[in-house]
Amino acid sequence: MILNYLKTAWRNILSNKFYAAINVTGLTVGLVVGIFMLLWVQDELSFDRFNSKADNIYKVGIVGGTGLSKQIFSNIIAPVSTFAKNELPDVKDGVRIMAVGDAPFKYKDKVFYEDNFCFTDPSYFSVFDFPLIKGDKRNPFPDNNTIVITESTAKKYFGTEDPIGKTVIIGQNEPVSVTGVIADYPKNSSFQYRVMLPLSRFNYLAYIKNKTSYDGKTTVQSMDADWSSFSFQTYLLTKPNTKAAKLEKELQAIHERQKPEDAPVPYLTQPLPQMHLYQADGTDGGMSTVRMFAIVAVMILVIACINYVNLSTARSMLRAKEVSIRKIIGAGKFQLFMQFMVETALLFALAAAVAIALMFILLPYYNQFSGKQIALNITSFNVWACVVITLIGTLTASSIYPALLLSSFEPLKALKGKVTAGIGTAAFRRILVVLQFSVSVVLIVSTLIIGKQLKYVFTKDLGYDKENIITFNMRDDMHKHADAVMNELKKDPSVLAATVSSRNMVVGGSSTGNNDWDGKPKSSNLWFNQIHGDKNLIDFFKIKLIQGSNFTGVVADSSHFIINETAVKEMGLSGNVIGKRLRIQTINGTIIGVVKDFHFQNLHKKIEPVVFQYNPANSWRVYLKITNANAQRAIAISTAVWKQYNNDVPFNYAFLDDSYRRIYSDDSRQGQLFNIFSAIAIVISCLGLFGLATYSAQVKTREIGIRKVLGASVARIITLLAREFMILIALSTAIGLPVAWYAMNKWLQDFAYKTNIGWAVFAFAAFAAAAVALATISVQSIKAALANPVKSLRSE
Amino acid sequence: MIKITNLEKFYRTEEVETIALNKLSMHVDTGEFVAIMGPSGCGKSTLLNILGMLDDPDEGSYVFNDIEVAHFNERKRADLRKHNIGFVFQSFNLIDELTVFENVELPLIYTGVSAAERVKRVEEVLDKMQIMHRRNHYPQQLSGGQQQRVAIARAVVNKPKLILADEPTGNLDSSNGNDVMELLTDLNEQGTTIIMVTHSEHDARYSHRIIRLLDGQTVMENIMV
Repeated sequence: MILNYLKTAWRNILSNKFYAAINVTGLTVGLVVGIFMLLWVQDELSFDRFNSKADNIYKVGIVGGTGLSKQIFSNIIAPVSTFAKNELPDVKDGVRIMAVGDAPFKYKDKVFYEDNFCFTDPSYFSVFDFPLIKGDKRNPFPDNNTIVITESTAKKYFGTEDPIGKTVIIGQNEPVSVTGVIADYPKNSSFQYRVMLPLSRFNYLAYIKNKTSYDGKTTVQSMDADWSSFSFQTYLLTKPNTKAAKLEKELQAIHERQKPEDAPVPYLTQPLPQMHLYQADGTDGGMSTVRMFAIVAVMILVIACINYVNLSTARSMLRAKEVSIRKIIGAGKFQLFMQFMVETALLFALAAAVAIALMFILLPYYNQFSGKQIALNITSFNVWACVVITLIGTLTASSIYPALLLSSFEPLKALKGKVTAGIGTAAFRRILVVLQFSVSVVLIVSTLIIGKQLKYVFTKDLGYDKENIITFNMRDDMHKHADAVMNELKKDPSVLAATVSSRNMVVGGSSTGNNDWDGKPKSSNLWFNQIHGDKNLIDFFKIKLIQGSNFTGVVADSSHFIINETAVKEMGLSGNVIGKRLRIQTINGTIIGVVKDFHFQNLHKKIEPVVFQYNPANSWRVYLKITNANAQRAIAISTAVWKQYNNDVPFNYAFLDDSYRRIYSDDSRQGQLFNIFSAIAIVISCLGLFGLATYSAQVKTREIGIRKVLGASVARIITLLAREFMILIALSTAIGLPVAWYAMNKWLQDFAYKTNIGWAVFAFAAFAAAAVALATISVQSIKAALANPVKSLRSE
Repeated sequence: MIKITNLEKFYRTEEVETIALNKLSMHVDTGEFVAIMGPSGCGKSTLLNILGMLDDPDEGSYVFNDIEVAHFNERKRADLRKHNIGFVFQSFNLIDELTVFENVELPLIYTGVSAAERVKRVEEVLDKMQIMHRRNHYPQQLSGGQQQRVAIARAVVNKPKLILADEPTGNLDSSNGNDVMELLTDLNEQGTTIIMVTHSEHDARYSHRIIRLLDGQTVMENIMV
């Protein structure tokens, strides 16, 4: 029986190649896009869940500051973990991680430049599922001069040799030996450190050997006594069913007991699996994108299903005769139902096969585009589960209705060509078309608004100059000779101006809540973003000084501050603030200038208080103003200077405006994806509309014939056919526009500074939808209108 | 075999009610060959559809093989139909996507006959209809007469007790038409009851009895000699 169904289905596809092609194309495109997006969503949602204790691991954060300067620290102080482990019965273990910038690692005569390694507690290997596959599990770091590395790092350094016991030199002269190897991290791990050093080594280097001090008088004995340095990611492993709120209160109590002057200092805990997609305070991080992707994926699949349903029900008229014959010679309703299910399944199998083949071909581009490494791993259960569930879901959604409709024809009427397929089904199909086009309208509007906002972001006057500037970070030896370096760079004609700063102007830097000024309200807990630099800094970036004067490089400048307008306002000052007292950390000084607000953070954030300090000694980042024409030369000079000091380390520089664009890479990517989504949604919707137009023209063949005989012009008949669809499109627009407005308002809320949505966008979207739809249906309408009435009447 | 009493059928639109069958009574015995004649709109096709259980009457009784079927639901009618009745249409009504063999095989599939048995029976009947050499052709590749022979083969492959033919020669030239009538006569002689709707006095002469309808009522019966 099934064989017979398949045979009939296959011949039906062959004898209607055009429709089959439209159907398979629509489904394939829908499936490829839908599955790709769902795989992305699945991958995002799976982050860190491979950790078997994930549900009982919390990342600890601290809320600092008040008002505009309120911020969340996801790196906190070191003692919290130790105290929590010792004092709180719910806490079983703690892991601290201090990520380190970059350093050369040498093995024999080979140098490897590592930019992703960390200091951590030994519990790193037991709390998380990163067990040692070589080395002593109970004691990964026997002493401070040991490291644990990943399998691929081991392979990179030592080839096939046994890594255990090998000595590696970090930087210039710090020998350490390998005492453990862990398997490479899963791709969906938030932790990707390739080399782990014992945190006790950091404690030794920073506190015991080099004596950390905050006031220049007393020293802090160890990191566990340092309540000021916010540098450690901290994870606590708790007993099952620990209440996060209670844990937060307990941590806060410990902190306030140990350092009462910080009170109140609210703590935050975040379950490990949420870390990837949510911010520390539980608000959406990447989750909003994931949600958007999931919704759009389902929308596209739904559009593809609707498309299939529309086309197959529209064509069901033509199958009516076959259905009747089968019924008359004995087919049961269920047998016919199954026949059409099999037919859909066959078409689906075709579409799925093409889709999966396409996915393998497109995967590299997709990975590049989505910024993700998804492997279409044939052995991965998750990947196939996602693919199969999507296929079954769409198959079910699109097969049942047409099968029911077709199998329910009354044979006599159908045989006589009197199947009108009911007013009900026509209404149903109209609803589907409206749904499709509403989605398309929403996507068109979203695309336009995202594009508009991106344009706004990239062309907005930020209040400082970021064009034609290259920047790089000095390393130890270079920084020791900063004056010589700067002089040498400035000497070259390709460098128009140069400055140094502690902050990467477009990315961010440190901030402090340790401050005081005359008249500071008791309740104020204001944080300042700190920008250290030399005397050229403000001029270099063309930041506008609106009160007072700039640094001149005199000794007294080290206790002078220049603040921004927002700082003045948040401090509760007004009028002339020059000469007012301000203390930042240990420096008690005066305000000598105020600059106009500028966007030193990305436009998702409101401008926060800023303090400029004259401190070249703490300014590691070099900025060079160049011109477009001599960029190559400036880079060559910089590279040459770099090589004098850091022969081992590659020279990493960036154009500031590139870095600026990179901050919005997520936004840009969303913009690009939306371009694609809307294009696809519109194409598939148009296929569906085309189907409906075809159906409509067929149904009205007789009517058109009679009208033509009675003298109707071609134009009038086209109008007759198109009118119905234009009403549907108008309805879709009426539904789609408010939805799009709502969704895009939500999206724009993520930006503190945003473009106006404006009516033009909506007008354009409505017009575009109408134009595309009209173009689609006019093909069929014109064909029907031009047909010879004698033929259409004879077919009655 | 068939006994109908006071059968009524109406067609209603919003404002007009048309009576298609008006208290019609008739009977057909097993082994008979009956022709139904009458002008357009007299109710011939309605009657044939009710006899074939494709449609149900509004009033009256229809006893088929001693079973009252007038108020059977669609499912029961379908079941009875597929085991007992074969149809032959004016426009052949073959399925274009299936070959000659597959078209004839279809009723056997729906009644659940095994594959081996199906091949045997289809070949048997194709042989009898002298269309065996066309078994792998599609309907469009055949002449009208050949198509109707395939349709008759399909109607009889399930060995029905009754064949209902709706103007079986209407789309054929006279020579092919005569062939088809000969075939039906052969089938009747082998025991199959046949009820045929026709406009053609020539064709009607092949039958044992002609029932003439006008406005949904029997107006005359001629017994052929």
